[in-house]
Amino acid sequence: MKLRSDLVLRTIGSDHLIVDPSQDMVDLSTVYTLNSSAAWLWEQLKGKEFNIDAIVELLCENYDVDIDQAKSDAETLLQDFQNQGLLEK
Amino acid sequence: MNLTKSSELSQTRYRIAELVLEFNHPADYPLAQLLPSFRDFQWLDSADTTDISITVSLSKAPIPEDKGILRTDESIAWGDRFRFYEKEDTFITTIINEQGNAAWYLQSDRNFEHSLLYVPESTADEQTGVITWMAMMIFGQASLLHQTIMIHASVANHAGRGVAFLGKSGTGKSTHSRLWLQHIPNTVLLNDDNPAIRITDKGVLIYGTPWSGKTPCYKNEQLPLQGFVRLQQAPMNEFEWQNGLKGFIAVLPSCTSIRWNKELFSTMNTILEKIIAQVPVGYLKCLPDAAAAELCHSALFPNE
Repeated sequence: MKLRSDLVLRTIGSDHLIVDPSQDMVDLSTVYTLNSSAAWLWEQLKGKEFNIDAIVELLCENYDVDIDQAKSDAETLLQDFQNQGLLEK
Repeated sequence: MNLTKSSELSQTRYRIAELVLEFNHPADYPLAQLLPSFRDFQWLDSADTTDISITVSLSKAPIPEDKGILRTDESIAWGDRFRFYEKEDTFITTIINEQGNAAWYLQSDRNFEHSLLYVPESTADEQTGVITWMAMMIFGQASLLHQTIMIHASVANHAGRGVAFLGKSGTGKSTHSRLWLQHIPNTVLLNDDNPAIRITDKGVLIYGTPWSGKTPCYKNEQLPLQGFVRLQQAPMNEFEWQNGLKGFIAVLPSCTSIRWNKELFSTMNTILEKIIAQVPVGYLKCLPDAAAAELCHSALFPNE
């Protein structure tokens, strides 16, 4: 899977966000906010083809988490990205 | 898109927020007379490069059967008469004329740098209204390529610094500006509806434009931008600063960019991101009274 290439992660002060312009007639444009670890992961994954194992690996290498915690965090994050339509179709 | 420059065309140029907008039109078409709100913005230096061009044609519009994807038919200004389409690498805007027997037809490239406008049978008043509005729509998109955003705001000029009041239509932006004019000394109006904001080496500046809603206030002036204030009607007066993300989200809905050109939309967000890093954003819950203006003024100008 891949992150949508048309989305740009923005940092304002200590906040991270993504603005997704609605393409429908009615403007349902959305602002997503990311915490700092999700934002960091976004930067690592952007432009790349990746799977859940890549996320787990990134988490384990860079955060003080055990593998089970990393797996469960990666699943939650991926599910969020999926549900919010932030992945390429 | 095929834009041929005929020798019979005259150029009328304007400079708005440091961007040169050029109309190419038949020599006998009284463009400058039709655009009275642009008068202060006329730009006679023909050596300067053109940033945005609009070619005006009085020929019959070559309206194609297939105008592409209908992106929106909502317009506060034009109601049912308006349509906006995306077709291949162009955007098409149509407005039915007042008589209802023909249409205004505007074809713009993706970034709105070059547009071709066909004028149907219409009165001078209608021509003034439509061309003024279309130029605003075009400027709002094309300016994004030049570190400039057009916003929906009423702007007070207090002691040579601009304060931009934001809010949905009907919130009382103009009313709040008027309260400043009445109760805060040394305050005049810069623009009442559509100022432009530009990032320059001298900081973030706010500019008057030929577009000012219902208030005829078309000043070719620029001021350092002191701050944005989003307004909300309330039974009391309360001011709160909005930092980081909150500030960005408070200003974003007031910024101009079509959503269907994702590059332009992203550029708009990038410019706003830079502006927010330099300009504070406040949120004012307010009554339409003098105390609201005084509270807002003391928050934005604490040293006065």
